Amino acid sequence: MSDTPNIRFRSATEETPTARWVLIGLAFAGLGILVFAPLIAVFVEALADGVTASLKSLASPDARDAIRLTLTIAAIAVPLNAAFGIAAAWFITKFDFTGKAFLITLIDLPFSVSPVVAGLCIVLMFGANSALGGWLVAQGYPIVFALPGIILATMFVTFPFVARELIPVMIEQGRAEEEAALTLGASGWRTFWTVTLPNIRWALLYGVLLCNARAMGEFGAVAVVSGKIRGQTATMPTTIEMLYQEYLSVAAFSLAAVLALLALLTLLLKTALEIRHADQLAATHRH
Amino acid sequence: MRAPLIHRSPMPGLGLSMGVTLTMLSIVVLLPIGALLLKGATYGLPGIWDTVNRERVWSALFLSFRLSLFAALFNLVFGVLLAWVLVRYRFPGRRILDAAVDLPFALPTAVAGISLTALYAPNGFFGQMAAEIGWKIAYTQWGIFIALVFVGLPFVTRTVQPVIEEIEREVEEASATLGATRLHTLRHVILPMLAPAALTGFALALARAVGEYGSVIFIAGNIPLVTEIAPLLIIIQLEEFNYDAAAAIGIAMLLISFAMLLVINLIQVWSRRRIGYV
Repeated sequence: MSDTPNIRFRSATEETPTARWVLIGLAFAGLGILVFAPLIAVFVEALADGVTASLKSLASPDARDAIRLTLTIAAIAVPLNAAFGIAAAWFITKFDFTGKAFLITLIDLPFSVSPVVAGLCIVLMFGANSALGGWLVAQGYPIVFALPGIILATMFVTFPFVARELIPVMIEQGRAEEEAALTLGASGWRTFWTVTLPNIRWALLYGVLLCNARAMGEFGAVAVVSGKIRGQTATMPTTIEMLYQEYLSVAAFSLAAVLALLALLTLLLKTALEIRHADQLAATHRH
Repeated sequence: MRAPLIHRSPMPGLGLSMGVTLTMLSIVVLLPIGALLLKGATYGLPGIWDTVNRERVWSALFLSFRLSLFAALFNLVFGVLLAWVLVRYRFPGRRILDAAVDLPFALPTAVAGISLTALYAPNGFFGQMAAEIGWKIAYTQWGIFIALVFVGLPFVTRTVQPVIEEIEREVEEASATLGATRLHTLRHVILPMLAPAALTGFALALARAVGEYGSVIFIAGNIPLVTEIAPLLIIIQLEEFNYDAAAAIGIAMLLISFAMLLVINLIQVWSRRRIGYV
């Protein structure tokens, strides 16, 4: 029987090897040009004059102020959005009420509104020309061209992130465990802290991660409401724009590299979550 | 008897969760959007029309929507290909490719904007290659197209991937035993199953591209009538404190986006009904 030729038959549900390799090649080429090349370019441009020049530009007052402001914004906007996401997911998944689908559509609305239009909306609502904004300025609490406006704009564009991650997970987990805890005499808060939160913690972290990446990187909405005042309302992305427009390429790309590193860290943590805690994330993130 | 608005439930925290949800939704999203619509209402339809009906505004709106459509179409094709490769094939580097698909979500748009410009400018890495064959990319509509492809890249792949994972091999085997070639099976069995999800991703990519600002303005060159996008016009009006005109353009963009999403939704409903796959 040794003269039987060693043929490997191709399964009927597979493409020919040539077709496979062409498709894989296209995937690599496409992502290489579209994604990897820009990512590498950020670091190449940042280090064009060497590491010291790059680090020096990051230590400049403008860059330091921008980094501090961006961290402040994220530290306020992300927890607020996380709190909203938990409340909205609890309200939507633990109760039955009319108009639930409509409410979910409203929560998703910021995804289909241009960030620039989002910024415009906030200027029209809270700007010094509006009734509410004028009154707030008179009281000494300006919103637009100040920190609160930037936080509102950031919250607007990141609004659905946490809620969208939590809702599918909490629907899947149902209400039985909470009902059991309540029957056994636990208070509402105790039920939340000891039963619900442990069940949703990885999905929550996932949502917070994406929310944070977007919050630190938001440009369009923030550019509209911030007024881009150096040292006061210029965030990292708006400072990158100003430096770039002044042809300070190394300074702009050094700051950009910091944000790119943050993006890479976000992707790394996100992938780790998808691999290690897939069963506790929304079904669409399971691989 | 009418069903109650909110069903009685033993769950605690109704008041708190409803209160937090509706209050924050109103302050952050609904009231500001309401302010835009109110501004439009007081400005009046004739005023909005006068603002929008100018050559510079029309050409910006047309440019934004046309290039967004092209970019979303490119992403539709490439996104389905990418999803197929990532789910069906096993090869070294697959995990890295899979993670890289999300980079456009994670990378701030301003960073993407300056880095694409550095690559495609006439003295950049790709720009030089293109210049040799007389092709200018940055500061032309090609540059805008590339930026829009970048920001919309993940949407189709991420919506189609779970659907491909769910496809049962038996369907493909049945098709093969009935004598279909592999290409025929892909075209007539697999693609129709992916269509609704792919359309959802297409719509998301389109919506994102239409409103995109950060990654485009650096590479666009921003020449009025040629490479000036609609969101930039809003910024220009705002810098001149011309709030009425900014609101008019903003409302026009909202209306056109919603009309497009409605059409895509209808196509989706139609394709689901035709294929009988929900």
